[in-house]
Amino acid sequence: MSQHPVIVGGGPAGMAAAIELARHGVRCTLLEEASRLGGVVYRGPLRDNVHLDYLGPRYSQVLAKLHGEFREQSGLIDVRLNHRVVGAEGTRTLVLLDADERLQEIEYSQLLLAAGCHERSVPFPGWTLPGVILLGGLQLQIKSGVVKPQGPVVIAGTGPLLPLVACQLHTSGVSVAGVYEACAFGKIARESLALLNKPQLFLDGLSMLAYLKLHGIPMHYGWGVVEAQGEGELNSVTVAPYSSTWEPELSRAEKVAAQTLAVGYGFIPRTQLSQQMGLDHGFSDDGYLRASANVWQQSSEPHVHLAGDMGGIRGGEAAMLAGRIAAVSILLQRNVLDLELALVRRDRYLSKLKSIVRFRAAVDRYTERGAGQTALPAADTVICRCEHATRADIDRALEQGVQDLASLKMRTRVSMGDCQGRMCVGYCTDRLREATGRQDVGWLRPRFPVDPIPFSAFQSVGREAASHE
Amino acid sequence: MSKFYDVVIAGGGVIGASCAYQLSKRKHLKIALIDAKRPGNATRASAGGLWAIGESVGLGCGVIFFRMMSANRKREAHGAAVAVDSSTPHILPQSFFDFALQSNAMYPDLHRELQENHGMDFKFEKTGLKFVIYDDEDRLYAEHIVACIPHLADQVRWLDQAALREAEPSVSHEARGALEFLCDHQVSPFRLADAYTEGARQNGVDLYFNTNVTGVLKHDSRVNGVQTDEAGVFRCDTLINAAGAWAADLSEQATGIRIPVNPVKGQILLTERMPKILHGCLTTSDCYVAQKDNGEILIGSTTEDKGFDVTTTYPEISGLVQGALRCIPALADINLKRCWAGLRPGSPDELPILGPMKGVEGYLNACGHFRTGILTSAITGVLLDKLVNNEPLPLDITPFLADRFAGVPEVERKEMDLA
Repeated sequence: MSQHPVIVGGGPAGMAAAIELARHGVRCTLLEEASRLGGVVYRGPLRDNVHLDYLGPRYSQVLAKLHGEFREQSGLIDVRLNHRVVGAEGTRTLVLLDADERLQEIEYSQLLLAAGCHERSVPFPGWTLPGVILLGGLQLQIKSGVVKPQGPVVIAGTGPLLPLVACQLHTSGVSVAGVYEACAFGKIARESLALLNKPQLFLDGLSMLAYLKLHGIPMHYGWGVVEAQGEGELNSVTVAPYSSTWEPELSRAEKVAAQTLAVGYGFIPRTQLSQQMGLDHGFSDDGYLRASANVWQQSSEPHVHLAGDMGGIRGGEAAMLAGRIAAVSILLQRNVLDLELALVRRDRYLSKLKSIVRFRAAVDRYTERGAGQTALPAADTVICRCEHATRADIDRALEQGVQDLASLKMRTRVSMGDCQGRMCVGYCTDRLREATGRQDVGWLRPRFPVDPIPFSAFQSVGREAASHE
Repeated sequence: MSKFYDVVIAGGGVIGASCAYQLSKRKHLKIALIDAKRPGNATRASAGGLWAIGESVGLGCGVIFFRMMSANRKREAHGAAVAVDSSTPHILPQSFFDFALQSNAMYPDLHRELQENHGMDFKFEKTGLKFVIYDDEDRLYAEHIVACIPHLADQVRWLDQAALREAEPSVSHEARGALEFLCDHQVSPFRLADAYTEGARQNGVDLYFNTNVTGVLKHDSRVNGVQTDEAGVFRCDTLINAAGAWAADLSEQATGIRIPVNPVKGQILLTERMPKILHGCLTTSDCYVAQKDNGEILIGSTTEDKGFDVTTTYPEISGLVQGALRCIPALADINLKRCWAGLRPGSPDELPILGPMKGVEGYLNACGHFRTGILTSAITGVLLDKLVNNEPLPLDITPFLADRFAGVPEVERKEMDLA
């Protein structure tokens, strides 16, 4: 068995944990599916010598600090890029697809799962048109320093990411036609006090709004997307005022010309691995499944730790703190730190984490999605893109008495495609909750492999195993 | 507050759903289908093969099961008088052939009926099942099979190497030929269960999903209802036990006797969608391979005694992958999409457990279908409907009565429970 702790995910949580472990002399293995570390928040440009000034000085500072601290400790961190964990065998072994597309098994004494999140897809007529993309994905494009979306760009959805990406787009030279925040301004204003838990972030938010105003980019509160149009690719977006429950007022709908529509309705934790391991999970107020962790970031299996967005969406800064707490717990479990020292360190991180949690709770309250959202798709709007299941298919299944996600899957084939439901799980669970009035309508059971893997990936393992016999 | 029904069916897998559908055609009966999907329900982990002859002669899932059994027996019965090895096919009794073949013959009509009357298509496809022969041992095995089923000679066809290559160009050129069973076909297993369920619902059956039966209500020797966690008490005249791998618990609650149904784990693999590269279903001595209506290729399956564990395990998956690659080399370049495991409701003699039990009224078994629940769901539904309505049966169910196990000494029965 490997004596080293293993970290899954080289985003802010995984990197911070690796740094904390290394500072205490503990070597670890860090598995990252991408070709660069940093996760979606701090991956940085894909090429060297790309300047990301347009992302703002504070972002660049944090980015440089994280990667700088990591570099200092790199002698004790076994980084494996382009390594994709595709499954978990119990709570002692992971199965991964390495950079050469071969399967490997890796055992661990302690594990930190920091697999992050994926975006919540919200279907509406035209959402599958080329040119309609998710907001986080669009932000990744600008952060990559390689691709820029075609303008004019319409941004719609809810949450602080909307104005941020609008500013970043504008600074990087892309024209933004408008930002449509589904929640009313009053709802956000009511959270001002709680948002002041992170005064710098709050201030950043205000300055972003000022920036948008200065550059003539309209910010519409209480407006949302109704439909996207185009022949073969997007050319316009219909937006309308939303009621408090997000029912669009169609008589006041407007059509806006756009080459790109970026839609951001938040994120859903990537729980495929934590589910495969059989760890405890719960549902958030936003209706997503998340892995449960205690104050040490330990899951229901104490040697398996969780940090970052897979335990609930809290962003990059919180991920780093949670990663450090998890590392302290691992250090305690390995007797590198005694309990007293561990508690001191943990509580220092915890107090910083608490103010972020209060800030995030305020964001969660104002970005609470309205029930009207699920009414947007038309009968023929595709909900499951892999299996081409439409809204009408889902309506029919619900009429036939289907009450849980597993049965909906069997009846309509939603989630049976390559993505195993990452795209449709949000809409499907929303509909089931509406139809049954229950909070728990089940979740998709993720199967091995989490991502499709070629049969040839096994062949080599089989041969190697055989030759050892 | 109690609900009142003529028939309560516990278990909404393919067997319970088929019973509900056949009974629902009566119109005069008030029926409830109660189901709690538990991890590992076999209907959803099935390949959907209607391999009436193939399974009866121990191919499909059976060949892997048989290999495991013969390995165990060899270990246990060192120097036993009866030599069991992989060249001796594992043939089920004639009663099972009749049961499986009668059920198999019902599918074309059932497919039409559910589609026309209820708008549900369970994707019945005429495929045949080919046992792919790689070597002398396989050929010997195939010859033994043919020798054991002279009465089905018209349903069997030998393919030489050239004929196999023409029929299935994707099969490895190492293969020397095949033995094909002409009447063995396939369906989509979960669509079949859904079709029965929706047909039953449209005919007025009340569905109680996500509802766990926690107890059986009795008056003297008569079962007269069930208790559930989620929906209270259901009073009924007849309780049908269609609880799949969980049937033993229910039988014990209803009759005091634990019928010998135990979970038998099977892991299966599914590929991404492919263009049609297989014209029929295949079985080898390593695995079976079936391309489904939507282009996905299903590869199965292991036979494991692991209780109610439904985890997938790397060595077993890898074994199936190697078996499939040996049969269809082109799979090397395509993607494995998903693996999962199901729990077959196994009985000691591999025959289903159907009908009444001695000394108990108002209770009927419809369980123990092991690896052929999809195939035999059609006839099981018909049999249970006739039993509920006291009508003559289309075949003798004596070999399938639970009482056949009554003669088993107590000690041995305990061992079976553990097995």
